[in-house]
Amino acid sequence: MVLKRELYQALEDVVGPENISEAPVILGSYAQRGRPRFEAVTLPKTTEEVQAIVRLCNRFGVQFKASSSGWGAYGDAGGPGVVKLDLRRMNRILEINEKNMYVVVEPYVIYAQLQAELMKRGLNCNITGAGSNCSALPLAAHQGIGHLSVSGSYGERNQLALEWVTPEGEIVRAGSLGSIGQWWCGDGPGPSLRGIIRGNVMPLGGLGVYTKAAQKIYHWPGPATFPIEGVSPHYRPNQIPPGFMIHYISFPSPEKLSKAAQKVGEAEIGFILMGFNPGMISANIATNNNEDLAYIKQFTDSVQGPGFLIIMAGNSPRDTEYKEKALQQIIDEYGGEPLEAVEEPKNAGGFMWRFIRVTSSIREVARASGIFAGEVGGTDVFPLMHQYIMRSAPVKQRYIDEGKLLADGTDPFVQSVEHGHAGHAELLIRFNKQDPGSLKVAGEIAQFANKTAIEGHFGVPGHAWGDAAHDQYGPHTLNYHKWLRKIKKTFDPNAASESTNYITADN
Amino acid sequence: MALEDYRTDMEMCCRCSICKFVPLEKLTEKRHSYVCPSIARYNFHTYSGGGRTSMGLALLDEELEYDEKLLEVVYNCQMCGACDMSCKYAMDIEVLEPINEIRIKCVEGGHTVPALDGIISSLRNQATMVPGAKAKRGDWAAGLDVKDITKQQAGVIYHAGCRVCYDQDLRQVATNTIELLKKAGIDVGIAGENEICCGGRAYQMGYKEDFLNQAKKYMEIIRKSGAKTLVTGCADCYHAFKVPYDKFGLKGDLEVMHATEYLARLIEEGKLKPTKKVDIKVTYHDPCHLGRLGEPYIHWEGNPVPGHIRIFDPPKEFRRGTYGVYEPPRDVLKSIPGLKLVEMDRVKEYAWCCGAGGGVRESNPDFAKWTARERISEAESTGADAIVTACSGCEQNFKETIDECGSSLKVYDVVELLARAI
Repeated sequence: MVLKRELYQALEDVVGPENISEAPVILGSYAQRGRPRFEAVTLPKTTEEVQAIVRLCNRFGVQFKASSSGWGAYGDAGGPGVVKLDLRRMNRILEINEKNMYVVVEPYVIYAQLQAELMKRGLNCNITGAGSNCSALPLAAHQGIGHLSVSGSYGERNQLALEWVTPEGEIVRAGSLGSIGQWWCGDGPGPSLRGIIRGNVMPLGGLGVYTKAAQKIYHWPGPATFPIEGVSPHYRPNQIPPGFMIHYISFPSPEKLSKAAQKVGEAEIGFILMGFNPGMISANIATNNNEDLAYIKQFTDSVQGPGFLIIMAGNSPRDTEYKEKALQQIIDEYGGEPLEAVEEPKNAGGFMWRFIRVTSSIREVARASGIFAGEVGGTDVFPLMHQYIMRSAPVKQRYIDEGKLLADGTDPFVQSVEHGHAGHAELLIRFNKQDPGSLKVAGEIAQFANKTAIEGHFGVPGHAWGDAAHDQYGPHTLNYHKWLRKIKKTFDPNAASESTNYITADN
Repeated sequence: MALEDYRTDMEMCCRCSICKFVPLEKLTEKRHSYVCPSIARYNFHTYSGGGRTSMGLALLDEELEYDEKLLEVVYNCQMCGACDMSCKYAMDIEVLEPINEIRIKCVEGGHTVPALDGIISSLRNQATMVPGAKAKRGDWAAGLDVKDITKQQAGVIYHAGCRVCYDQDLRQVATNTIELLKKAGIDVGIAGENEICCGGRAYQMGYKEDFLNQAKKYMEIIRKSGAKTLVTGCADCYHAFKVPYDKFGLKGDLEVMHATEYLARLIEEGKLKPTKKVDIKVTYHDPCHLGRLGEPYIHWEGNPVPGHIRIFDPPKEFRRGTYGVYEPPRDVLKSIPGLKLVEMDRVKEYAWCCGAGGGVRESNPDFAKWTARERISEAESTGADAIVTACSGCEQNFKETIDECGSSLKVYDVVELLARAI
C-alpha cells in the first residue's frame, strides 16, 4: 500500500521534508531480505514529534513501529501498512546525576557513548550483553542483561522514571517524573506501570514509544579512559589498571561451576561474571574466523569442563587482596583450574577491556555466519536457570554431529545477576543461514527449549515473544497471555502499535 | 570483480550499526563518536555502510530502480572507508569494495550525476580531474631546476597531482618537496607538462574504464622513465598508485611512497636535519587515503570453505586499515623543533574524513563543507593553532571551509612545516 497523500504530507509537516522518506531505496534498508517494508520512514527529533506521528497513525488507521539502534529484527515491520519511527535523531544524554547516581538518556544514545562519559566521572553502567553498540535506553535492547549484570544489575531493575508515548499518542511520565518532575524513581510518587510497560521481555516495539528514561548507574573504580593502544583490530591496553584482575576458571562438572558461581556472588567479588564457554572466549580474542577456529580448539583442549570468566575490580589494595584471596578459596574448594591463555600479560588487558566495553558480542554471534540463534533462559533464581539450560543444552551435540551447526562446544553460558541474587542462561548456536537444514534445526532447538521450560516448570524464557509463544506458555503460567492481551487492548484500542513481536489483542 | 562477487559479503551484514561509530574500544567521547559522515549527515540507515550493502543486494536482485533518490544516496558518500574499517573490527566481510562496485554498476548502466560526468569529461579530454584548468600543468615547477623524466632518467619520480598543479594555493607543497629531496641528494624528476591524472578518484567515483585507461597511460610514462620509486604528496594519488593500480596488476614492482614516508626516512637516515624552530601547536588530520585506505592491496584468489563459519581456501586476509600510513607524518612533525603535536579524538584508522573524497566535493559541496566543519571543530577543541594534513584534497577543502565559517585555524601540509625547519 502507499500512504494517503494527506497522511504523508501531515507526517512531513511534523518532521520536515529532510526527515521523512518513502523512496524504495530508503525503505529497503529498513527491512530484512524478503520481509515486509515500511510505508514510510520518519526521523523524529523530539517527544512531541513522536507523539504527533503516533496520533496521525491512529487517525489514519495505519500502524507504527519505533526502534533505536535497530539491530534486532523485532524493530522491523510485521506486515504492510506500517510507518517507521527511526529514533536516531533522539541521541542526547540529558543528565548525568553523579550525586544520586542516575543518568537520563534518549533512545539513540548507545552504551559505548554512555559508558565513556560515565567513566570520566568515576561511574559506570550496565551494558546489554548484545554489545555497547546497542541503545542505552533501559527499555531497549531486550531485557538488558549483560556482562556487568553481576555488579550492575540489568534493564528492568536499573530503570527509573521514564517518558512514554502510548499507542494512542498520550505522553505518560511514569515514576517520580509524573509527580514532581524528577527522574530518580521509577515507581513513585506517581504511576509506576513498570510491569505493564516492560512485561517479561519488553513489548519489542508493540506498545508505543519510549522516548526518555532514567537508569541507575554504578561506581567505577578504574581510570577515566582505559589506556588502549594499537590499531584496529589489534587493540589492547598498555597496562592493566591497578586492582583489576581477570581469570577464566574451568571446573570438573557443571554442578561445581554452579556452586562456585554462587559463592562468587555471596562473596561479592565479581565485577563481571559470565559462564562463557571456550568458543565465546575464543571469539573475543580472535580477530578473524580462522583465528577463531584455532582458539576454539586451543581453549577447549585446555579446560577441564565448563567454566566462567570473572573480572574483579578492587577499590583499594585491601579490597583487591580480599577479592583475590576469596576467589582462590573458591577455586580450591570446587577444583577450579585457570585457563592460562586468558591471564597471559599479552592477552589479559585486551580480554578485560573487550568484556568491560562489551565490544565482542558481534564477533561471538555474527562473525561466523552473519546469524545466530539459540535458546534463552529467563531471569530467575540462579540454580533454576542453570538447571534449565543444562537440561536442554545436550541436544546441541546431536546437531553438531549431524553437521547442522558449528562445532563450537555445547556448554551453555549461565550468568549471575546482582551477585547471585538472580541468574540468566543462554545456549547459542551458529550456523550457515543459507542451509535450510540448519534453519530447521534452529527452530527445533527453540521448540525443545520451550518443551523443556514448560515440562520442567522453569518459567517463561526470554526468547518467548509473539502470539504463538505466548499462547504456548500462557496456559501453563496462570494464563498470563490473557492479561497481556487485555493490556494491549486497553492501551492500544486501535491496534496502531505494530505487535508482531509482542502480542495482538485479537487472538 | 563485480558487485555480484560481493553478494555473500553483503548478505553477512547483521545490521549491528558498528559501521556508524568509531571502534567501540576506542570511544572516549560521545561528542566525537560517529565515524561515517554520510549517516551522520543524512540519518536514514540507508546512508550507512550496512544500509549500502542492503542496497547492493537489492540492486543485484533488480528490486530497485535507479531513481533520483537512489543516486543521491549512492553519490553522497566520500568513500572514506571508515564504515569498512569499523565493521572489520568484528566481521570478516568486505564493505567498501561492494560500495565501490555499486558506483561502477551505476556508471556502466549510465546512471550518473552531471557534476561527476563533467569531471570525467575533463579527464578524457585534458587528462585532469580539474575541469576548465587554465594553467599549464607543469607551471608549478618553474625555476626549480628539476629533471624532466620524459627526457632524462631519474631514480625517483615525484607526482604532483591534479589539484596541486592547478591550484596556486597548493603548489607550495610540491615545490617544497622537490627542494627537500634535492637537498637530501635524491635523484628526483617530474613529468611536468606531461604529467597526467592518476585516475584514482575516477575509480572511486565508479568510472572504472576511465581509471584503467588513465592508469595504463601513466604506467607507460613511468616505464619509459626508468624510475623505480614514485613519491607523491597527495594521499588520493598515493592510494591510487598503491592500491587500485596493484589490484588491477598495473603497478608492477614500482615502489610507491607518500612524501611524508620518504621524508621521514630521509630524516631517520640523517640526510635531512630539521634545525630551525617552528613555534606552533598543531593537530594532525589523517587523510583517509593515506591512513586506513593506504595499506597495501592484498592479492587473493580462492573459494569459501563449505560449513558454518565463513572461511576460505586459501585463507583470506582482509584489509582492515591496520597497516595504513599513520606514523611517518607524525614522525616528521615530531622532528621539527618547537612544534607541539596534539591529537584529536578521532585519529589514524578511525579519523573523521575531511569531506572532499569520492566526488562529494564536486557533486555536493555543501555536504563536503559540512563534513569539514565537523573536523575543524574537532581540531579547534584540541587548542591547536593549525590543522596539518598530508593531502591536497583535505587541505583545499579545509581552507575553503575555514574561509566560509570564519575559524582562525590555519591549514598546513606536513611538508610545508618541515621546509620551514630546514
